[in-house]
Amino acid sequence: MIERPSSDSGYSRPDESAGVMVCDPPDVADERSVELFLHAVLPEEPLVKIRPGNSLTKIEFGELWAHRELLYFMMWRDLKVRYRQTILGASWVILQPLLLTLVFAIFLGKLVKVPSDGVPYPIFAYAGLLLWMFLSNAVLSSSYSLVVNAHIITKVYFSRLLIPGAAVGVRLLDLIIASLILVALMFYYGVTLTWSILMLPVFVIQITALALGVGIWTSALNVRYRDVGTMLPILLQLWMFVSPIIYPSSIVPERWRSLYFLNPLAGTVEGFRASLLGLPFDWRSIVISTAITLALLVCSIYAFRRMEESFADDV
Amino acid sequence: MKPIMRVENLGKKYSLGAREVIAPTLREALVRFVKNTAERFSRGRDTDAQTVWALSGVTFEVYPGEVVGVIGRNGAGKSTLLKILSRITKPTMGLADLYGRTGSLLEVGTGFHPDLTGRENIHLNGAILGMKREEISRKFDEIVAFAEVDRFLDTPVKRYSTGMYLRLAFAVAAHLDPEILLLDEVLTVGDALFQKKCFAKMKEVGREGKTVLFVSHNTASVQHLCGRALYLRNGVLSEEGKPDAVIASYLKDLSESESAGLAC
Repeated sequence: MIERPSSDSGYSRPDESAGVMVCDPPDVADERSVELFLHAVLPEEPLVKIRPGNSLTKIEFGELWAHRELLYFMMWRDLKVRYRQTILGASWVILQPLLLTLVFAIFLGKLVKVPSDGVPYPIFAYAGLLLWMFLSNAVLSSSYSLVVNAHIITKVYFSRLLIPGAAVGVRLLDLIIASLILVALMFYYGVTLTWSILMLPVFVIQITALALGVGIWTSALNVRYRDVGTMLPILLQLWMFVSPIIYPSSIVPERWRSLYFLNPLAGTVEGFRASLLGLPFDWRSIVISTAITLALLVCSIYAFRRMEESFADDV
Repeated sequence: MKPIMRVENLGKKYSLGAREVIAPTLREALVRFVKNTAERFSRGRDTDAQTVWALSGVTFEVYPGEVVGVIGRNGAGKSTLLKILSRITKPTMGLADLYGRTGSLLEVGTGFHPDLTGRENIHLNGAILGMKREEISRKFDEIVAFAEVDRFLDTPVKRYSTGMYLRLAFAVAAHLDPEILLLDEVLTVGDALFQKKCFAKMKEVGREGKTVLFVSHNTASVQHLCGRALYLRNGVLSEEGKPDAVIASYLKDLSESESAGLAC
């Protein structure tokens, strides 16, 4: 028990022996106010101002930062819960891209003989699928995150951005685990690292921002229009095929390239692979995808903020 | 003295969304579908939708250290008021200013996950309610002792009995340490003995100089704990003052509407 200061003798008369809880009479407020002055001086400005309407269009970074521990706990919860009652546990994270790579390596790599910029196809495909699985899982789980956490949203307030944020964060951990296989594959195929590898974190950050951009937006839309959840898997599938995941962007005819690279994922995946496998960077596509990703992220946070206030009523 | 909570002319409107009338023909249904979809995407143009004011024109102030009870029948706007003050939902009009760190407890065990153990849920729930990690670790033993679940700490809470679950949930909440505490009917958990413990804890919270706004159907607990009471009727603040007087008129209204209901 915490030691309480003895200042409470004046107005409270604990009368437990009689089994009756006696109420504090309100007219001793003066005595109380003297004590309160000692340990609770009220601020001039209210800590919380509650107003109707769209006053919250700015992003409260301070609030996000204050809730960072909650972000950690939500990620921790998702991880714990996901691997409860599974036999293979975290190895699912590796199996998913590995199995896909196996199938694509046999059918596309061996049989169709899809070019892979001079790199062994399995490692080429795994690097792409690794990023793709991250993006696709992150977008899917964050799009459902608000709906799944409806019981929390309707009962407690905290910066709602944390919810899709945590969903993406968990998938980022998956990405890191699944990267171990990538390292093994590179070792097996004898890929030598170049200085380009130093750019790798940039592309990981970029794809995380992309996942956040799409995930935050779809999560908010999904609260109101559940169609989003149904539509998303199909759209994601399409997105995969218009991105250089299982084929290189070099097979796209030159005159269509600028259109092709408007897909922010294209530049990111190509950049990631280039830095990993020591291929030349295509700076133009990297700059385009960075710009589009950032714009998307900003718009999506703004849209989220606008819809946020009605989540508790709509969800 | 300056109030720690100031509520002015607060109101909240909900639309009932009574658009769903079955269409007579398929063609009609399609036309409506297209129209409604278009309407939905243009967002918030619910001109003919029925609306209801869950809360309107509510004005009051709460001073530091006060324990204020809010009573009223189901649907009188009590929970809406707490939801607005906890920032879960936005008011349609009016304003509220809070001059202290606020903790709200609209439900016992928010965010408890059935698959996680008691230990894990204490940490998770604490974080969701706004405690710092270090704070939770510090109070951990105290929470466990209060909940009387030490033997089941590493059991998933889905195997807990209802009583154990509620005790654990209340224990976490009781160790929140905000300046303003917003409570919704949380004292009605557990058996008589545990309830007594909860009451004692709540009294202690009040004695520490914390401000509490406490919503309840239970007039007895309002009488025991609160120094002042607010009576909400159909979304309007109809009376405020000493708990005894306010509760008396609440009970009078209740019996009146009951006899009116019997008459017809």
